[in-house]
Amino acid sequence: MSNVIKNPRNGCALHGALQTVQEIRGAVPVVHANAGCGVVNYLAQRNGSGGGARYSGFSIPGTAAQERHVIFGGASRLREQIKNTIKVQKGDLYVILNSCESAMVGDDVDAMTREIVEQGEPVVDTLVAGFNGGIHYGYEHVLADILKSLDGIFKSDIEKDERLVNVFGIVPDKDPYWQGNLIEIKRILNGFGLKANVFFGATGSVHQLKNAKNAAVSIVFTKWGELPAKVLKEKYDVPVIIRPSLPADANGVQELATALAEIVELDASKVDEFIADEEDFENSILYRVRDEIFEYGLSKTAAFIGEEEQAIRIGGFLKNRFGVEFSAIVLTDALKKDEEHETDNGALLAAISENVYIANDQKEINDILRGSGAEVIFGSSLEKDIAGRLNVPLVEVSYPIVDRVILNKTSVGTNGVISLIEEYVTVVKEYDVRKKEIASSIVRGVQGGESWQERLQKKSYSNKLSSITELQTREYISAQR
Amino acid sequence: MAEKIGKHIAIYGKGGIGKSTTTSNISAALAEAGYRVIQIGCDPKSDSTNTLRGNNYLPTVLDSLREGNKIHLDDISVKGFGGVLCIESGGPVPGVGCAGRGINAAVNLLQELNLFEEFKPDYVLYDVLGDVVCGGFAVPIRDGITDRAYVVSSSDFMALYAANNLFKAINKYAPTGGAKLGGVIANSMKPGYHREIVDDFVAKTGTSIAGYVNRSLDVQQSELYGKTVIEAKPESAQADIYRNLAKYIAENENLVVPNPLGSSELRDWARSWGDRIYDIENGVVNGVAEAI
Repeated sequence: MSNVIKNPRNGCALHGALQTVQEIRGAVPVVHANAGCGVVNYLAQRNGSGGGARYSGFSIPGTAAQERHVIFGGASRLREQIKNTIKVQKGDLYVILNSCESAMVGDDVDAMTREIVEQGEPVVDTLVAGFNGGIHYGYEHVLADILKSLDGIFKSDIEKDERLVNVFGIVPDKDPYWQGNLIEIKRILNGFGLKANVFFGATGSVHQLKNAKNAAVSIVFTKWGELPAKVLKEKYDVPVIIRPSLPADANGVQELATALAEIVELDASKVDEFIADEEDFENSILYRVRDEIFEYGLSKTAAFIGEEEQAIRIGGFLKNRFGVEFSAIVLTDALKKDEEHETDNGALLAAISENVYIANDQKEINDILRGSGAEVIFGSSLEKDIAGRLNVPLVEVSYPIVDRVILNKTSVGTNGVISLIEEYVTVVKEYDVRKKEIASSIVRGVQGGESWQERLQKKSYSNKLSSITELQTREYISAQR
Repeated sequence: MAEKIGKHIAIYGKGGIGKSTTTSNISAALAEAGYRVIQIGCDPKSDSTNTLRGNNYLPTVLDSLREGNKIHLDDISVKGFGGVLCIESGGPVPGVGCAGRGINAAVNLLQELNLFEEFKPDYVLYDVLGDVVCGGFAVPIRDGITDRAYVVSSSDFMALYAANNLFKAINKYAPTGGAKLGGVIANSMKPGYHREIVDDFVAKTGTSIAGYVNRSLDVQQSELYGKTVIEAKPESAQADIYRNLAKYIAENENLVVPNPLGSSELRDWARSWGDRIYDIENGVVNGVAEAI
């Protein structure tokens, strides 16, 4: 029998496609689904940390299909919606996202799209039925379908640009730091003397999509970018480089340069100089927290909960540079059995931790964490509760992060690793300070001041208190004396 | 669900096998015997009740649903021969939309309109199209809408194949309150081995024959007049065949969960009959009689 899945962190394929199209400037999504599919995605995103895109929530054009559109077919309703959308929303590209109903009923949306394209309107359609897969599936399929169709709409010759690099695999709004990560990748590629062709966010638009076929190479940073990159390989012979993760730090930047150099001609001295600068910068900044690193013993036993790419990047960095021991890694972007990808990162993950799990259910994740003996958790806001119960600090790195806004902050490359360490040290330090506060309030109670029970009623330390044992308190008092 | 008013009977069978003709004649015979009958055509072609209402126009349930107006029972039903209440579920135009969902919606709507409470039928017959290709077409035998199903079949392999598919559906849904099988209506029976084939099929699947209906000119003629045989040729032998069939269906309480044949089992069974028919047609003598 099926069980309840608590707090799943992946929506359906339609949601993945929708949040992908929303983040392409100039692209207008048209959702062919029942009322609610788009709004649910919006509500999930609002609880995430990245804020809303241009078309979000109630402003997403959609057919709001009803039962009669299921029984009698919804194609004519879709035609009406596309025409109305074109009238009121100026767009460079309209992307029809077909949902479960459309797939079940078998609406001939391709014919509808051809009809409107023949009238001179830039329209593409994609089938991203929720039952086909999750958010990542939606991302790769909508992108692949757009790249396949663009030539039929915007006819242009190929003008190869030997400096241009397509960036694939970063699903918009899925990694809380996605926007900053794209900006950082762009900065790094610029440092190599290349131009990043980024499709999403502040610097991405339909223009970049049209230009993708002219790129010298496509870099795929997670396995979820394989499919669209392969479309460009097959149609326009754009070579593909598949990386297991985004660069974690200056070392990662160096590895990226090495991988790129196999296909693109790089100015070696320029690249070396850039990487040397990156290393110097990273070291000189991180040097500043050397005392904290030793004082708080940052080479802790840890658990990681997040996507595979993040586990490889952040987990690998913390293990190699800080000696963090990962007693458990939980991957939350698991593949369905029938979704095959070329990339298999099993060996890389196994090198970071002996215990790699795939889970999307909070109860299962909590059980893994309980048994992990972790002294610190790297995860999402959904792990806040269990971290409190286990009385260990939580560093929020993966989706969703609900209690703060992350706009252009990055977690990759030189700038990202600095932020990550900043965050790690801050969280551990705060935790330590809080622990000392609680202990000292108990001491004051023991020494005859305001009783600690009274203090507790004023301030809600109750969660933390439960873990402070009498023995710890006595040790603290004797140390104070 | 409230206690069911009347006996609810679903009639299935391959397209073109004579479901509507058989169902309409059963309805007419039951009405003639004094029962209150509703016949619901569950087919986008919406021609199930034609012969009961002299081919007169009747808006379908889904047509009315498409208009989006408030629907009244009077708008979608008409009384035909012997007071049989005729209803057609209707559906989308061919190749568009989802007919299975349409049937589902139409049946739900009829329940919402309190059809059965209002009309108080003794018998409700659902004439369901073709093969049970997806969940939508199985709606009449699920959810306790009907408690018994009959299947119309000739001795043709494809008709028996469709019957076997219905058996699979019944087999799946019966344990959770779905309909059971009342029997097989052997239609278009001609002299020769045709009965034997159907008899063998029901024996293999643990089911029974509800009645044999011979191929007859009376049926064709009556249809061309836009009438049932019961109405057009009440004195004919064919009318009596339908009356007996109606009586059997009205009284039969021997409902079973069939044992459908597996795909290869069904193929092997058909092949064995292929060989036998060849021998019969060509006068080949087998077995003990071979020595004569």
